[in-house]
Amino acid sequence: MADHKDKHEDEAHEHGPGRYVVIWMALLVFTITTVVTGHMDLGAANLPLAMVIATVKATLVVLFFMHLWDAEGINRLVFGVAIVFVMVLLLGVFGDLLTRMPEALPTGQPAHTLEGGDMPSSHGMPAHRPHGE
Amino acid sequence: MSSSDASAHGGGHGDAHGGNPHLAHHFDSMATQNHASRLGMWLFLGTEVLLFAGLFLGYSVYRHFYHEAFRAASHHLSLTLGTINTVVLITSSFTVAMAYYSVKKGNSKAAAGLLTFTILCAVAFLCIKGVEYNEKFQEGALPGKWFHFHEMQGYPGANMFYTVYFLTTGLHAFHVIVGMAVLIWVLRRTIRGDFDKNYYIPVELGGLYWHLVDLVWIFLFPLLYLI
Amino acid sequence: MSQPVASAIPAPTAAPVYQEINYLNADRGVASWLKTLDHKRIGVMYFASVLMTFLLGGIFAMIVRFELTTPEPTFIGANTYNRMFTLHGMVMVFLFMIPAIPGVFGNFCLPLMLGAKDVAFPRLNLMSLYVYWIGSAIVLTGVITGGADSGWTFYAPYSTSTPMTLFPVLLGVFVLGFSSILTGLNFIVTVHTLRAPGITWMKMPLFVWAIYATSIIQVLATPVIGLTTLLVGIEKVGGFGFFDPGRGGDPVLMQHLFWFYSHPAVYIMVLPAMGVMSEIVAAFARKNIFGYKMIAYSSLGIAFVGFFAWGHHMFVSGQSSFDGGGFAVISMLVGVFTAIKVFNWVGTLYRGAILVTAPFIYLCGFLFFIVFGGMTGIALATISPDVHWHDTYFVVAHFHFIMVGAVIMAFLAAIHYWFPKMFGKTYNEGWAMVAAAFIVLGFNATFIPQFLAGNAGMPRRYYMYPERFTGLNVASTMGSTLLAFGFVMILIYLIFALLRGRIAGENPWHSKGYEWRTSSPPIKENFAETLEYPEEPHTYREPGEEPEHVII
Repeated sequence: MADHKDKHEDEAHEHGPGRYVVIWMALLVFTITTVVTGHMDLGAANLPLAMVIATVKATLVVLFFMHLWDAEGINRLVFGVAIVFVMVLLLGVFGDLLTRMPEALPTGQPAHTLEGGDMPSSHGMPAHRPHGE
Repeated sequence: MSSSDASAHGGGHGDAHGGNPHLAHHFDSMATQNHASRLGMWLFLGTEVLLFAGLFLGYSVYRHFYHEAFRAASHHLSLTLGTINTVVLITSSFTVAMAYYSVKKGNSKAAAGLLTFTILCAVAFLCIKGVEYNEKFQEGALPGKWFHFHEMQGYPGANMFYTVYFLTTGLHAFHVIVGMAVLIWVLRRTIRGDFDKNYYIPVELGGLYWHLVDLVWIFLFPLLYLI
Repeated sequence: MSQPVASAIPAPTAAPVYQEINYLNADRGVASWLKTLDHKRIGVMYFASVLMTFLLGGIFAMIVRFELTTPEPTFIGANTYNRMFTLHGMVMVFLFMIPAIPGVFGNFCLPLMLGAKDVAFPRLNLMSLYVYWIGSAIVLTGVITGGADSGWTFYAPYSTSTPMTLFPVLLGVFVLGFSSILTGLNFIVTVHTLRAPGITWMKMPLFVWAIYATSIIQVLATPVIGLTTLLVGIEKVGGFGFFDPGRGGDPVLMQHLFWFYSHPAVYIMVLPAMGVMSEIVAAFARKNIFGYKMIAYSSLGIAFVGFFAWGHHMFVSGQSSFDGGGFAVISMLVGVFTAIKVFNWVGTLYRGAILVTAPFIYLCGFLFFIVFGGMTGIALATISPDVHWHDTYFVVAHFHFIMVGAVIMAFLAAIHYWFPKMFGKTYNEGWAMVAAAFIVLGFNATFIPQFLAGNAGMPRRYYMYPERFTGLNVASTMGSTLLAFGFVMILIYLIFALLRGRIAGENPWHSKGYEWRTSSPPIKENFAETLEYPEEPHTYREPGEEPEHVII
């Protein structure tokens, strides 16, 4: 027998439809909240706040509409791992973006040419002579 | 492709053993088979999350570079239409969850009604999106080489906002269409009386896919309309 | 086959039996094959398909090698050359390496190894095969209508601005991704839900662990390449400028997205090969596998940690050295998992009762090549030497040591090991060993010169090169001819074995693998009766027992 408990969604939760209504209401409330706070000028806090609210909404949908609240552990693990890897992708790329030398960025300055001159970051070292061929 | 997913997950037409006509020959019980179907669907949802991840990455990257342009451009989007769409999708998520609940209780008629409403919500979403897209075409607020939105000309990287906008909402809209097709297929089977208290897994799986569509929009909405 | 010597194995009382009604002939007609839900038939169809795509990729390779025999243009033009190495890479990676071992042996063996009647979703399995065929057909259409010249890595902005169509090839790759995802999804669910009573997680054959880890990567990573091909394709056709610096885009972003999949992709290729080797090493040393748990866990380790290392392909791309440093360290960490496996395999061989056969020769080749390929990988992961080696033949040799040296050796070993199970016949061991010698020697002759050339500075993907590299290139081409010859030899004697081979019987290798506990070829339902699983799949003796020698 495969390793799952016989208790799961098939017989498990005996909750009524009310649960769905409550979650729906909550989602609408959070939507209004995020629209209102989005209008306010909170400076740098706007984006994190919007993301927190969105995450709360998403969590409600995932846990209750998608039944992860009373689901098999493996289903939760699958979804959780997917989210973790999204984070890995974002972190890896932003780790690069935030620490790249400015000339390599789309908004960076055009790089100096090497015709007898230096890259700006050479700290005053003498210019390379072009390779004689 | 998802409709075939749901049908494959929903159990085979193998010989009845143990009496349940939905039980495939290689599974030992309906409980195992249903667990397998759900796990398969969650894995598939995982792939969808990773698919959109790349686009969210693109959004983040270009927002980081072109902060001003993104702010200004998002103010040109219609917040009203965006909010309505968000409410529409959230409600459709609610109704599809209720449809699943109804069919689990044996009430196929209510389920059919709720599924129909969900599908209509999807149609409404697409129509509103269409209106928004049309506005963009009029304004010239288009991606890449098609960009000629003179109100945003002063901002470097403005075209990138619209590239990201069309790519993310376009891919999302494509998934709305696919989700609609899946729900229509589930609706057909509900009307035909295929489901009852003991067998309703296709409704559940179709609903899961629809919830994913809602999830993506829950994040897209603030990122595109509210920053 | 003659009787075994040891008495611990129950001596067969009669000649080996060929299962008359089996999965191959249970249903007749082409339609029964095309509509089959039998994982074994699907595995066989994958087998036929990947042999053809391997041949195609090999033809492109030979064209590249022959062009490189002289430093001047040899027999094709520069544009054609670019298309040849691009298509060699694309066909080999997407149409052969990714689907091969999971598609053929994963499909065939996984349910048998778990005591199951089929995979979890047989119809999805068939769809996976169809999608593979469709994707391959689209790629081939692209090949014929001009192909691609961007390298298999199709970096923007070249790929988005080259006059080559590229779009059909990208579309084909996109479609192929779905096949990969469906297969991975199917296998994960199968392992979770269809294990027979008695087969717990820690009693699963190690090949299953490897396939399970591979499937995790397939499911998580493939969507990202799907998105990347989509974005590049849209940019090419629609001018969206997502990666175009002229429109504010970042080409390095494309590389990040590309390698986020393509680095784990190499583990999709190598993990199943390692799984095969775990099976083979126990069977042909007739000894308990050394360190079962470590091999199982290291497979998962490779699958997960392999996701964090992609930036080592981008050290000189403009990526920051800070990020590069992080990726370098993690890349070395992944090497630890492979090293653990190598130690365990060698530990299994130690004091084993070695059965010298073609699969064993391939195992030896595999061990040698994965060690050297792996070590050169660690060397490349060190940023400063990589600045010198990047985009030279050193890199090319490194990954061919793994892709061909390790993975293809494992593929060949798998073919020879499971041929009797799949088709009920044996192949001629003498010819097999001769061919194996050609393969191993030919491989060395092809790729060792490439390490030397690359280290001396010869760039990759170059149509013409400085004269001083001629000798090494000629040597490499000669080696590749030997290698090709070896493959042709294998094909010939295997076809002969298929048609006129001797009957193999249920378990000609006297292996303890679970898949051997049914007839050869297996019946359609896999097992005639429900089996018990008191033993573990890689145990050949009790502690303290002497190894038993078997003559086959």
